[in-house]
Amino acid sequence: MSPSVPSLGQPPLTPAVFHILLALADGPLHGYAIMQAVEASTGVDGRMGPGTIYGSLQRMEDAGLVREIETDEGRRRVFALLPAGRRALVLESRRLARLATMVRAKRLVPKESPG
Amino acid sequence: VNRHSLSLWLYRRLLGLYPEEFRVRFGSHLESDFLELLARQGPRAAWRRVVGDLANSVRLTHQYAHSERRRVYAMSLGGERPMGSVLFDLRHAVRSLWKAPVFTAVTVLTLALGIGANAAIFSLVNAALLRPMGYESPDRLMMIHEAIPESKVPRFGVSPADYLDLVQYQRSFTGIGVYRSRAMELSGTGEPEQVDVAQMSASVLPILGVNAADGRTFAPDEDQAEASVVAISHAFAERRFAGRSAVGERLILDRRPYTIVGVMPASFEFPKRGAEFNAIPADVYMPLVFNPFEREARGMFYNHSVVGRLREGMTATQAALDTSALAARVTENYPAGLRQMGFTLQIAATPFVDEIAGQVRRPLLILLGAVGLVLLVACANVANLIVSRSVTRQREIGVRVALGAANHRLFQLLLLESLLLAFAGGAAGLVLSQWAVRAMPAVIASSLPAVTGVGLDLRVVGFTFGLSLATAVVFGLVPLASGLRRNVGDTLREGARTTGGRMQHRMQKGLVVSSVAFAFVLLVAAGLLIRSFANLMAIDAGVRGTNVLSMEVTLPLAGYNQASRVRSFYQTVQERLGREAGVRAAVVTSDLPVRGDGERRVFTPSGYDPSAPIASSVAVTWVYGDYFSTFGVSMVRGRSFTADELQTDRKVAIVSRVLADRYWPGEDPIGKQIKWGGPSSTAPWQTVIGVAGDVVDGPLGDEPVIHIYVPYAEVADEALAAPVAGFLRRMTIAVAGNVDETRLASPMRAAVAAFDPSLALAGVTTLREVLREATAPQRFSAMALGAFAGGALALAGIGLYGVLAFGVSQRTREIGVRLALGAGRGEVIGLVVRQGLVLTTIGLVVGALGAVAAVRVLGALLFETAVYDPFTFAIVPALLGVVSLAACYVPARRASRIDPTVALRSE
Repeated sequence: MSPSVPSLGQPPLTPAVFHILLALADGPLHGYAIMQAVEASTGVDGRMGPGTIYGSLQRMEDAGLVREIETDEGRRRVFALLPAGRRALVLESRRLARLATMVRAKRLVPKESPG
Repeated sequence: VNRHSLSLWLYRRLLGLYPEEFRVRFGSHLESDFLELLARQGPRAAWRRVVGDLANSVRLTHQYAHSERRRVYAMSLGGERPMGSVLFDLRHAVRSLWKAPVFTAVTVLTLALGIGANAAIFSLVNAALLRPMGYESPDRLMMIHEAIPESKVPRFGVSPADYLDLVQYQRSFTGIGVYRSRAMELSGTGEPEQVDVAQMSASVLPILGVNAADGRTFAPDEDQAEASVVAISHAFAERRFAGRSAVGERLILDRRPYTIVGVMPASFEFPKRGAEFNAIPADVYMPLVFNPFEREARGMFYNHSVVGRLREGMTATQAALDTSALAARVTENYPAGLRQMGFTLQIAATPFVDEIAGQVRRPLLILLGAVGLVLLVACANVANLIVSRSVTRQREIGVRVALGAANHRLFQLLLLESLLLAFAGGAAGLVLSQWAVRAMPAVIASSLPAVTGVGLDLRVVGFTFGLSLATAVVFGLVPLASGLRRNVGDTLREGARTTGGRMQHRMQKGLVVSSVAFAFVLLVAAGLLIRSFANLMAIDAGVRGTNVLSMEVTLPLAGYNQASRVRSFYQTVQERLGREAGVRAAVVTSDLPVRGDGERRVFTPSGYDPSAPIASSVAVTWVYGDYFSTFGVSMVRGRSFTADELQTDRKVAIVSRVLADRYWPGEDPIGKQIKWGGPSSTAPWQTVIGVAGDVVDGPLGDEPVIHIYVPYAEVADEALAAPVAGFLRRMTIAVAGNVDETRLASPMRAAVAAFDPSLALAGVTTLREVLREATAPQRFSAMALGAFAGGALALAGIGLYGVLAFGVSQRTREIGVRLALGAGRGEVIGLVVRQGLVLTTIGLVVGALGAVAAVRVLGALLFETAVYDPFTFAIVPALLGVVSLAACYVPARRASRIDPTVALRSE
């Protein structure tokens, strides 16, 4: 494994970490927006409250995966991916993609059209 | 926002469940997100969203916070790599000691004093008692003395004739050898100087088991006839022949040439200091050749030392018995006239090692014991300090444990602190002891036997270091033991200090009691020695020692083989000095008062009753000039010698008061007569013209020795010029000045140089110095023990102060309550002082018992002082009591000034 990925970012990632990283992949977001994005990626069943989100953000920040940055828009502060966070996301995504391929190969789920 | 204010208020309260770090970091984020949830989805949805989340995340964030604290703590302690953590803890230890400067300074200083004093004293003991002699199996060597009990002189050396008898008669030794010390004039190159020479029979060096390092020692026939060969010491060879071999070189001694045949090893020192006679380490060794007169003379020349090596299988006890049995056979060889005097000749053999170190062993071991006590007090104090500090640190340790500090890391930290203290104390102690050893007066070193240089010994340093290390380590870990035993919550809870404090407080009290007890013992010992020393100093030595300077000169036979030349020397020099401005009186004499190293002779007083036991030996001093005015010896009766009596032999003598009192009690001694030798001696009678006050000859406190003073004119010309009477040509020139003694030296040197510029002057000293030397060992013991006792007293005081101050700080709240409930300041002071005095009293009782047991060893060292001297035993507890009260004062005052309101709030 790449030594530049901290232990928290080593695959397999916890769902919370993965979804937060995923949410931040398109650009910095503030807490509420992360919550919304996570809900979008996990669905209603997997959605997380603010405590869980910030608890994860705290660890991720300590591990150097994300960083809080000031933005121009008002006082609202946002969280941004750090290079290590992006690497962790890529590694985890590859793993999940491989898993998904295997899952598909076993034809356990009906084939979906790519959308 | 208003309609959501209840929700927000409630949510804020709930946020309090999160760990503080998390709340501080994300609290505002959470609030604003919650507000946004409320605003967009309404309270119901918002609460649904956060309640389950709260339950989950509170637990997780706490877990994380705890693991994070552990990690940060471990990181902050230098990580878990062993070396990294040691370095880190070392830094931390240094910092924490630095932050407690008073504690650190007092601890280091205490250790330094204990270690320093021990190392210094042990260095002395080591030099005097433990260091190898440099001879082969010195425990098989014995010394032989002669004694005549009736003479009141404990013992003498051996006379040549008696020695020659012993060589024939003895069967206990593989061989015996004879030697004597003398000073000779060394000339030829540069300024003439005086060297210390040991004249010895050829058998001495083989008996000692020592060979020359370069060249050879003496052949057996070289002590039979003058061979003009010498061996020299290593140090002398280095000094005189730096680098090149001295063997084959020539030395001019007393203006006669000698060939150097050998250089002795560097470790060889002979004779050793410490013996009663012939105890000046020599630089030149030469064969001792007895002339025919010496070989025959009985009843005189008892100034030779005899050493023997025990035959295999022979014990020292058996040899001593055998040797004393020889006395009767030797006595038979004495002329009938001497034997009729009714004296008993005794011959004693004693172990050589005891002879050298015996006199100082006891005082040195007592000092060693005393300094050991000082170290114990110092250790008790260090322990006390560390225990006191540990209580304040218990909280810190509790916090560390709570934060996840591993036990081994705490252990490491405390250990490092203790080691730092011990090493700092040890290093400072080394510096101190080195300083003390250097500052030790030269006279102490030279009054100790076998001591050439007192150096610090590594074993000493190691031992004391080890002991201090053990103290620091054992007591340094006390806080850990009690800190770990209790659980974290207990330690952290505010009131928890008292439980742990109590156990440690009890330990501290024990330490204080023992400090006081040790100090008691030391103070009693010091008090006794100081009193004894004061008694000794109060003795009238019989001389007045202001502004008296003296120096020695030995007239070499080569230039002074005519009596007229010798007489011309002393007359010219004395008369010239007598005319010097600033000189009150001048004398040329055979020996200095008080030293007691002069000639002793057998004599017969007029009116001698053959049936009475008789002192067959008397100290004799020859004089030219006014001996009595020069040294301030009083004339009890009669008069001093006239100029005529000094120049021409008028058969006159001056005797000491004890002599007159003993032999002519109740009679007028003036006009009585004495003669040298036994009753049948043909020596002329000499008339007593005066009685001089008694002078202490030898150790202060001994009975005065009977003494006869005669003019040099009394000595026969043949004796003065004869090689045998070398001691008569060793002369002491002494001057009493109206001016400071330092200004007397140059006129004295000038007077000697004017007569003979090549004469070597030596032994420059003042009478005051001679008197000081006579009491030097006692002065040293008293001073050293006094210093130790003072140190122990101070340490005991500091210890008591520490415990009481600590107790007060621990009981601040209780005292506050008492004050609030109406107790007076006086009562509070009484409370603290009472506690201090109880500890002191227990210490005093224990100490008194210890002192009663311990002072018995001092008995032999005390002069006119009882071992259980009531004065000392009364004043010591008083002194300790005063110091204790002083130690109580500050804490008591602090306690009485406690402000109840502050004290109660402080919890």
